[in-house]
This record gives sequence, structure tokens and C-alpha cells, in this order.
Amino acid sequence: MLISLNWLNDYVDLSDLSAERIAELLSLHTAEVEGIEEVGAAIADVVVGEVLERAQHPNADKLSVTRVAYGADETVGVVCGAPNVRAGLKIAFAPVGSKLPGDLKIKRAKLRGEESCGMICSERELELSDEHGGILELPEDAPVGVPLVEYLGLKDFVLELDNKSLTHRPDLWGHYGFARELAAILGRELKPLKLAQVEREEAPAEPDGRFAIRIEDPESCRFYAGLEVSLEGEPGPSPAWMQRRLRAVGQRPIDLLVDLTNYLLLETGQPTHAFDRSKVRGDLIRVRRAEAGEKLTTLDDQERSLHGEDLLIADAEGGVALAGVMGGANSEVGPETETILLEAAHFAPTRVRRTAHRLNLRTEASSRFEKTLDPAGTWQAVERFVALLQELRPDARVLGPARTAGSSAADEVSLELDPKRTAELLGLPLAPEEVVDLLQRLGFGVELDGASLRVEVPSWRSSKDVRKPIDLVEEVGRLAGYHRIEARPLAAPIEAIFADPMRQLTRRLGARLMGAHEAFETQGYTFLHADWVQHLSAARGDFVIVDNPVQDQVDLVRQDSMPSLLDQAAGNWRANPAGALFEFGKGYFPQGDALPTQRRWLSILLWQRGEAKHHGPGSAFGRARSLAEDLLRTAGVAWTAETVEAAASLPGWAHPAQILAYGDGAMLVSAIHPRVRAALDLSEAKLMAVRIDLEALLAAQNQEAAFRAPSKFPAIKCDVALALPAELPFAEVDAALRQAGGKILVNLQLFDVYEEGALAEQGQRSLAFHATLQAADRTLSEKEEQKFLRKIGEAAERLGGSLRS
Amino acid sequence: MRERLEELRGEGLAAVESASTEADLRAIEVGLLGRKGDITAALKSLGKLPAEERPLMGQLANEVKAAIQASLDAKRATLDAAALEAELSGAGFDPTLPGPGLPGGGQHPISAITRELEDLFLSMGFRIADGPEVELEANNFDALNIPSDHPARESHDTIWITPEEARKGDGSGVVLRTHTSPVQVRALREYGAPLRVVAPGRVFRQETLDATHEHTFHQMEGLVVDKGVGVGHMLHAMNTLIEGVMGRKLETRLRPGFFPFVEPGFELDARCPFCQSGCSVCKGSRWIELMPGGLVHPHVLESAGVDPNEYSGFAFGLGLSRIVMLRYGIDDIRWFMSGSLDFLRQFPA
Repeated sequence: MLISLNWLNDYVDLSDLSAERIAELLSLHTAEVEGIEEVGAAIADVVVGEVLERAQHPNADKLSVTRVAYGADETVGVVCGAPNVRAGLKIAFAPVGSKLPGDLKIKRAKLRGEESCGMICSERELELSDEHGGILELPEDAPVGVPLVEYLGLKDFVLELDNKSLTHRPDLWGHYGFARELAAILGRELKPLKLAQVEREEAPAEPDGRFAIRIEDPESCRFYAGLEVSLEGEPGPSPAWMQRRLRAVGQRPIDLLVDLTNYLLLETGQPTHAFDRSKVRGDLIRVRRAEAGEKLTTLDDQERSLHGEDLLIADAEGGVALAGVMGGANSEVGPETETILLEAAHFAPTRVRRTAHRLNLRTEASSRFEKTLDPAGTWQAVERFVALLQELRPDARVLGPARTAGSSAADEVSLELDPKRTAELLGLPLAPEEVVDLLQRLGFGVELDGASLRVEVPSWRSSKDVRKPIDLVEEVGRLAGYHRIEARPLAAPIEAIFADPMRQLTRRLGARLMGAHEAFETQGYTFLHADWVQHLSAARGDFVIVDNPVQDQVDLVRQDSMPSLLDQAAGNWRANPAGALFEFGKGYFPQGDALPTQRRWLSILLWQRGEAKHHGPGSAFGRARSLAEDLLRTAGVAWTAETVEAAASLPGWAHPAQILAYGDGAMLVSAIHPRVRAALDLSEAKLMAVRIDLEALLAAQNQEAAFRAPSKFPAIKCDVALALPAELPFAEVDAALRQAGGKILVNLQLFDVYEEGALAEQGQRSLAFHATLQAADRTLSEKEEQKFLRKIGEAAERLGGSLRS
Repeated sequence: MRERLEELRGEGLAAVESASTEADLRAIEVGLLGRKGDITAALKSLGKLPAEERPLMGQLANEVKAAIQASLDAKRATLDAAALEAELSGAGFDPTLPGPGLPGGGQHPISAITRELEDLFLSMGFRIADGPEVELEANNFDALNIPSDHPARESHDTIWITPEEARKGDGSGVVLRTHTSPVQVRALREYGAPLRVVAPGRVFRQETLDATHEHTFHQMEGLVVDKGVGVGHMLHAMNTLIEGVMGRKLETRLRPGFFPFVEPGFELDARCPFCQSGCSVCKGSRWIELMPGGLVHPHVLESAGVDPNEYSGFAFGLGLSRIVMLRYGIDDIRWFMSGSLDFLRQFPA
């Protein structure tokens, strides 16, 4: 919102303060000022000039050649195209070197052969109005050489307030509210609004020769006042001072009536509406809900299709205004309007807001009604309107008493405030008397009642934002000044806060992934594109669905991070043929209408181009498996790998045949399903996923590793190669060999798989191991090593294979 | 015999003299003094000499042996010294050649700052709490004193799970949480008062994505509830947080701000850390708005079962995404959720 300092000065004397200081006071005590604009700064170089001579341009019919005086030692020749330029005219003159709005810089020029040193300006060129029919004509007594801004009294500063910081303050949507704030902050007098005495009477529900008012939806309209006024003539333009103020705060002057209601709105914050009385059909004003499909053409000439949630002002025949939002074109005031019906009403905020939002029609009026305006201010607006009108148009006549329906009485809010507690909460040393003074400055009625205060909330604050004692604490604090509050440390806690085990776990896992596995932590969106349903071969019902997605079709809530990681891998893939990303991310599963189930995952995605081996050590899958098992070791969890049944229910990204599960599926190591790779154009990539259910991992994290003293006796290291049936899973071989090796086999590590050549033709493959033999109580003999090898050989034979070396 | 020994002495000493490596010396040593060496062989043949010559020749053989040994030792010392000198001279060693490269991974910058701040608050006796990203309307709005007809609840601000037609207005709807503030209510219900807690996490709003707007971003909520807690305590906690996150103390000021779940509400501004006289970050004002906060509204305490007549508290909300952007000079918020390795590589583990 824009606030003119000249306007504020009508009500509180700010003449000794700079605009910067006023802005700072408001920012620190009331609401954020986002900017200060100097009105007229764009035409600061323009001065009052006089046309001394005018002659026809020798080479152009429409141009004049003039000689202009503008306060400089010498006069200058200026070419001018305006039809009204003439000798003796006082003008607005922009000399060479000056600037005009729109970054226009005035330079010496030659126009059709005649030299022109400066520019005689029209109102539009000065951004004073849209008038461009000719140059601005100043009164004859205008003093030549004086800056135009000064001569016209344009000098003003406009503050731009952050609207978001005003949403809770219905009283701050007009200049008078800010004047009241500044008067309170500075401890200065607030001058009253000039009001006219206007008679009022209860409106009948049926016409009685004059108009009747019928509020058919009292929940949406608490109060409605109508007043007939005869202008005794056509409206014509509003006076220059009013136009200047309107322009300064960004409003375009139209005519007396429109300007008057706009001025009233900007001054008091209360919207009003003027109907052309001659266009209102009959004598009945109805405040009613629109019928579904009912049409109304609003002042902006848009035909609006309404529904039952919209509130309408209707005359005897139909809608004449969209209540609180915009008037109807059918009853619009115009140049020939002589009698108006003024409306001042109190409409329910939510109803106005919803209609304005649904129709995408946010207006100055609707944005104010949304804030829950002061009902008492509604009637006050009528009195202020009449006062202003009488000032501008002394002949205008009020036709009979105003008629009202409903009540303009504000909510009476009376609160008890403990000044001691107020001081404690604010951390400010405030005496009760100071609390009383601060509240009184803002217009609160305060009485000392024993140790506590009885506070009557004024009508402009009771409609919304001051309803509880704590709201008064804020009033006291902000007026006293938050800069007076000193920072104080909290008293030291007595009990230790033990580290949160989940946080400990995730930090350790993260450090390990970044350090040992060269993985990068990332963050992926919670939302997935609807196409992921197909990519994952899932059903939409498996997902939590967003009702109003931020982006068309991106309406699934992810179950885990893997789709986001895959999307990110797809983005990185061309430039980075290998990489590893991980995320500690949450996933959600629907539970009917209830709050979805949340799972906390650690998801890791590894990708690379091609690979040396299909499986086993040196393969991408093998790397993912080792990484996963390293994380289990880091976490101190003793889960072991299990193969996954073909029928098992798996996440859609998992490869049903290239997968291992740990901890009953709480950790999965899996290749990415070829369907997903194809969908993301990642078919060439080897993609491996590890997903860990962190809550299950934490629950399984039971004991610290126990220490076992190493054997004092030497170990024997030997390599063993076995030929075994190719289809026999390694896990079975490994188990059989460990059993055959007995207690002395302390380590058995596969280091090579050979699946080609003659062996392969026989349906066999070669598995090569490093074995370590050691006993706790003796040095092993050569005989024991031979026995071990024999047993391994026998085990291989039982499995349908043989010892190769 | 004597001639033979003298001959061996001469040859031996000459060989040592001309030797230039340890291997040469070792060969001479073995050839002359070793078990099968020439001098050893000569000593073995002493028995064949007449008895009166034996002591003399024996003595001579030992002399020759000692002379050669001494010469070997001296030569070794010379060679060792030369080798040490050569090594220490650095010739032939280029320390500027690179190693094999241990690239390592990296930490997301939001996590990095989150973890720093968690540690800071742990040191001040705060718990760290967590809440779901998909949250009940009741926790996100009702319990936080946001009225049922508040515009923030509508679809143009909030991302809803519950379809518009199914929203009953009784708090039973499900939304993507619009702030971390519902954790205030969850933590108070779980732990009761007194309480100190911070809750970092992601939040969601209806925003059209551009360089400064994200629909998914990160906040850190702070909440303290205790007896006798006031605005001064809040200011101290906020100042500490800013010192922690910006790495130094900054002058701060409180301004009025409005948030339904605090009363009074504040905005905390800090002196712009990037300039002395106005810059693009502070838009020339020398202040940057860093953090909203306020005293916990009595309604919020009541919703969580805490008596507002006995306890008071303060809450604040730090925009983590924005703070991280300020700290690292990141000019486009979209980097955070991009997963781009070009971005992630710039932040160490």
C-alpha cells in the first residue's frame, strides 16, 4: 500500500521529520516500509517558463518557433508542436540537460532546420495526467524560473508498505490509521477526521415511497447504509489537490464521484460505492446470494457468471453490484449522473475473498473487506463522504436521512491485563503507568483496577486483531520500542540431552558414504510425475496423491527417494558416466483418509557405463553389495544377505532377479529394473540401488562389537580353485565350504569367478578363493593344511564339482 | 705365500678404490673375505707351510684381511654419505607430480548447515525433533491458531492431499506441511513443558519455480517453553543462531511481524554482512530480514496441553534454504533440489 506523507500531515504534524525517519519509525513500531518514493522527482528539472514570442515554423505547418524565458540569463529558441502555444503563455519548461519521466533527456536539437533548446511539456509528458491535447497552461501569475514541482505544490513522499505485514490490521488500510499510529509512536496529537452530521433511520424491508433495504444473508452483511445525494449538477472533475493525492498513491483520477469514493477509501480504509440513482430500478435494495449461473457485467465490462456462494447487491430487477468486490456496469455513475445512491456496508471477509479469488478480481475494495473492517467505520464513512462532498460541492444536497439495515456497532472487547506479567513477557522494565500511557495513546480505554488493568478495545482494533490480553502485550511492546529489549541467555539446563540415536546413525552412515564410497548427498523432490505409476508398474492407488499439484501432472507423493535419485541420475548421466548419489528422504504410503504412513529411508543410487563383470567381485552389483554390507558394519547391524523369491512384493524400480534382501527386506540391494531404465533413457547405464529402512536399521542396532583377542599362532594362507556347476548359487558353495573347513578356517574370500572356456562348455565355472587357516591354541601343521584341502575337495565333489588346485 | 697375500692386498685395495656401488663392494668382500674367498682360502692353506713360517704368514694374512676390511668400511662410508647427499639434494624428485586422486563425496549444503546448527542447539540444551512432511491440517493450522477461513489454508497457498470437496474444515484434512511449526505442537505434546527443541525439515508451498521461489524448501523451527520466558530470551537465542550460522556476531534489531501462532510477533533483521554502505543483498538498507519469531500464542500452548498462565515460550523459524544461499552466495534456489553433480561437488563431506 502507498501512503502519502502530505496526506498524513493533515492529521498529525510530521513536518519536522524526514521521510526516512518516518519510514523507520513505522518499520520498527508498526509495519514494514519497503520503499520511499519522492513524488515529482522525475520532473524535478522542469521549471515555470514563459513564451515570449511565437512564430510559424518556416518549414512545417504544425510547428511553432518560440522564444522562451525560464529564469536563466538568456532566453532560448524552442520548436513546439502544440496547438495552444502562444505568446504570453506561462508554461512548464524542460531546459537542455534536464530529464523527463521515462529516462528522456532533453538535448539541443534542430527541427526542420530550426534550432530548439528545450521542451515545452504537456501534462502527460510530466506524468501529471493523460492530457496530451496541448501543452500545460499555467496561470498568468506563475513565477518564471521556479521549479514546477514547487510551484504546483507537488512535493511529497510516498511510503510503500509491505501489504503482507498489514493483513492482521484492518485499521491500517487507509491513511488515517497510519496517522493514528504515528501520533501514538511520537506522542503527538491526532487531529480528528472532519465529519458531517448525517441523519439516519432504520430502513424498511418494503419500499415506502423511499428506498427499502433488505439484508437477506445477515451472516455475509452485518450492516448496510444507503444515502441519496443530489449533486445539483454534473460531477465534473475533482479538484487539483485531490487529483494530486490520488495520483501520488497510484490512483488515476476519473471524475468527482469516483475520485471522492476512492479518496474516502484511501483515507479511512472503508470502501463505499456510488450508484447512479436513476439507473437503480425501483426502490428496493436487496443484499442476497447470487443464483447459480446468474450473470452480472461488472464495471470493467466483463460479464461474470456467479454462483450461490457470491454475495450480490440487487435492485428490484436484478444484480447491480458484486458485494464488496466491484459495482455493476448497469448502475455505473457517469458524466451525466446527478443523483447517487451511496452504499457503505460491512461485508463478511471470507465471502468477499472467495468471490474475488474465484473471479480473479482483487480490487481495492475486496482487499479491504477481506481484513474484517471496523463496523463503526462503515457509518463513519458516510459522514466523512458528506463532509468531503460539501467541501467540494457546497450545493450538493442530501436527500433525506440515510437508511440503514443491520448494526454498525462494533464488538465490545474488554480485557484484563497484568502489567507486571506484560513487562516480564516483553523483557522490558515497564511501570504500570507507562503501560497505561502507551495503550491510551493508541486509543485504548484503560482503567487501573487493583494490580491489573481493565482495557476497552477501540472499535477499529476490536474487529479482528485485539481479542486477548496477549494482543495488548504486543501493543505495549511495539509502542515502547523493541529496541529497548535486552538479550538475555536462558538459564542453564540441568539435565543432559543425550544424542538422538537416529541422528547419530544417519550422520555415521552419511560420513561413511561420502568418505569411503565417494557418494554425494542430494535432496530430491517429494513429488513425482504421474508417469512414475507406469515406470514403477504400480497403481495410482498405491500413492498418496496431491490434490493441487504445483506443476501439472506432478501429483504423486513419493514412496521412497529412488525415483527422485533416478531422475537426478538421468540429469547427470551424459556429463558423468559414473557417480553415486544418496538421500536421507522420507516416503509416504496412503492410509485411506487418515494421515499417510511415513517411512524414513536411506536411498543410494550408483551408476556407471558398462562393467568388467556381470556379477561377483568387480561387477556393479558386487560393488553395491559391498557398499551395503559396509554400511551394515558401520551401523553395527548383523543382517545377512538373502535371495528374494520371485513372488516377493518389491518396489517397482527393483530388478526381480538381480537383488538381495537383508533384515527381512529392510535393506535391498538391487539393479534397477530395465523398464525404468528404458523409461528414463538410461538403458546404457548400469544402475544399482541400495535402500535401507532407517527405523528398522536403528531397531536392529543392538550391540557394540565384542573384542576377541587375536591368536598368537601363525596363520597359513592358501589359495583354492574349485570347478563347480555353473547354476549352483555361490551362497550354497560358500556355506558348504565353510562347514567343511571347520573351526580352523577363519577367512574365506572369493577373488575370481571364471565362466568361460572348456569348463563353461561342461556347464561348470571356476571359483577361486583366498583361505586363511589359524588355530587359537597351536601352530597348524602341514598335515592339517593337507587335510583341509582334502575336505574342501570332498565338499566340492559332493556339490558336483572338483578341486582344481 | 707372502707374494700371494701381497698380491691379494694390492688387487683388493685397488678394487675397493675403483668400486662405485654397494654391489661392487659386496662382490669384493665375498671374493676376498667370504667363506670361499681368496684370503680365506689362503688362510686355510697355512697348514701346508713349515711350522716356523705359520705365525708370520698368519699374521700377514690377518693384516691383509684387516686392511681390506678397513678399506671396504671406509669406501662404504663414503658411498653412503654420497648417497645420502644425493637423496637430500632432491635431484630427480618432483614433489609437484599429482597423487592418484581420492575424490571423495560431499555433503548437501543444506544438510551441512543443518548439522552445524543442530550441534549448536544441542550445546544449549535443546532437543532435536522431527515431524512428518505430510501432516494433519489440525497440526499445520488449527493448533497454530490459524483460523479455519484463513487464506493460507486455501489451495493457492497450501498443497493439499485431501481433495477440495472432501475438506470438512474440522482439521481432519491432510496437507503437505507449509512450515516446520507443527513440530512445535508435536514436540510439546510428546515432551511437555519445560521444553527446548529445534526441528529442521522440508516444507512446501504453492509457488511457481524460479530463481528465488521453490515449492519445496527448508526451515528450522525453534521452540522454548518454560516459566518466566520472555522476548529477551528469544532475542538471545536468535542472536546466537545468527552468530552460529554466519560465523560472527552481527548487530540485530527486532521489528513487529505478524504470524498467527505467536503474539507478539517479530521479524529479526541483522546488519548486512556483505557491505558497509548498502548492496544488492540488503537492497541498500544495510539490514537483512533473517528470521521471524515471537512469543508462543496462548492458543498454541493450550492446543498442546500446556497451561499458558503458568508457562510462556518463544518460537522462531529460520529459513534454512535462504541462509545457505546467503552463506555460500548461491544465486538460484533451484540448485538445491537439482541433484546436479556440478553443484554437489562444490561442497565437501
